[in-house]
Amino acid sequence: MAKLHFKNASIRGIVTTVGDKKVTIDEEASKFGYDEKLLKRVKKSMGFNSRYVVSSEDICTSDLCLASAKKLLSGCNIEAKSIDALLMVTQTPDYKAPSTAIILQDRLGCSTDTIAYDINLGCSGFINGLMSAYSLIESGLNRVLLCVGDVASKFAYEKDKNLTPLMGDAGSAILIEKSLSDSYFILHSDGSGYEHLIIPAGGCRYPCNEEALTPKERGDGSIRRDVDMYMNGAEIFNFTIKVVPKMFDELLEFAGKSKDEIDYFVLHQANRYILQNISKRIGVGSDRLPMETVSTYGNQNSASIPGTINGFLSDKYSSKKVTSLFAGFGIGLSWGACIVESKNIFAPAIEQYKI
Amino acid sequence: MTQQEFLEAIAEALDCEMELSGETILDDIDEYDSIGVLSLMSYFDELGIKVSPNDFEKFETVQDLINLAGDKIDG
Repeated sequence: MAKLHFKNASIRGIVTTVGDKKVTIDEEASKFGYDEKLLKRVKKSMGFNSRYVVSSEDICTSDLCLASAKKLLSGCNIEAKSIDALLMVTQTPDYKAPSTAIILQDRLGCSTDTIAYDINLGCSGFINGLMSAYSLIESGLNRVLLCVGDVASKFAYEKDKNLTPLMGDAGSAILIEKSLSDSYFILHSDGSGYEHLIIPAGGCRYPCNEEALTPKERGDGSIRRDVDMYMNGAEIFNFTIKVVPKMFDELLEFAGKSKDEIDYFVLHQANRYILQNISKRIGVGSDRLPMETVSTYGNQNSASIPGTINGFLSDKYSSKKVTSLFAGFGIGLSWGACIVESKNIFAPAIEQYKI
Repeated sequence: MTQQEFLEAIAEALDCEMELSGETILDDIDEYDSIGVLSLMSYFDELGIKVSPNDFEKFETVQDLINLAGDKIDG
C-alpha cells in the first residue's frame, strides 16, 4: 500500500485564478435542453448555479497557473530563481509535447537548474502533485512550485448536458518549502475503471481524425465528439462512495489522528451531491467540509482543493495553524488523501483571470 | 424493516411524493432519472447491498427494488 510519511515539508502559499467569464445555469439551461423541472432538480441536487470559464480559446491552463504563480511569489516575497522544481498537474497542457511545466519554467523566470515536468491527472491530481512536491523536498530540495488545474472548456463539449454544466476553468499555484512538519499521504489507482472518465481520441490508440471530430448523439442523451471527455456519472458516484470514506479511515489510522483533530476536510469538489453523501457517511458537517465550490466556480479538476481554500477558507488558512485532510478522487480511476499541517500561509481570495 | 417502511425510504431517497407500491413502474416516477439512480445506489449501499449502475437498466418496477432488498425486508 502506498502510504507516505513526510517530516520536512509544508505548504507556504496557495493562489487560485479562475476563468475570466462567469456563466450561470439559468442562462445555459436551454443550450443543454433542460426543461424547467430538470433545471430545478440539478440546481437543488447537484448544486449547479454559476461557473467560471475562459472567454477565449487562446487562454490555456498554463496562463491561469502563471497568473497564480506570479501572485504567489510576490505574496511570499521570493524570487523565481530560488525555485528548485516546478511540477504541473494538468490534462490540458499547452502542447502534446513538451511538458508545459518546462515552458512555465521559462515564462516565470526560473533558473535552468530547475526540475520541471508534467503529471497527467485530474480529480486526484492535487494529492499526487503535493505528494511529489513533498517527496522532492524530503529528498533535499528547498522550494517546489506546484501548478495544478485545467481549462475544462477545452475538453467538455458545449452540448454535453451531463458534463459541461459542471465544469469550471481554474489554475492554482502552490509553494512547498522545507520546514519541520508531519504529513501523511495515502494513494490508490485502479485502471480497470479507466473507461468511466475518458477522452477516447487524440492519443496514440485512437488518433485525432475526422471521425473523432464528429459530434454524435450518445446513449446517455448527450452530444459530444470522441475528442471530448466522457463521464459515466453513476459509475463514478458508485466508485466514490465505496472508496473515499474507507480511505479516510485508513489515513486517520495511519496518521494516528481522530476526525476531531482535523480542522477542515477539503475534498475534490466533484459536485454537491457527492460531497453531501460523503459528509453524511463520515459524520462531518459542512462547517468543516466545504461543498459549495461547484455552485460558485464549477468543478475545477485538480485545482478544486486549492480553489476551495482560496474561494471559501482564505481568512482561516491565512490567519492560523490548520490541520487539513485533503482528498481527491476520479479519473484514472485514481484516489488519494493526505493530512497536512500549515500555519498562516499566503492564501488570498480567488481571482478572475485578467486578459 | 417492513415493506411499507422500505417503500417510504425509497420515496424519500428519490425525493418523490408519489405513493409507491410493488406494481409502480419505475419509468412512471418523474424523479427516477440519472440523479434518482444515484440516490437509490447510495441507499442500497447504506443497507450493505451491492448494486451497479447497469443493474438499474434491467429494473422495471418497484418490485425489482423490493427483490433487491431481499431479506432486509421482513414484513
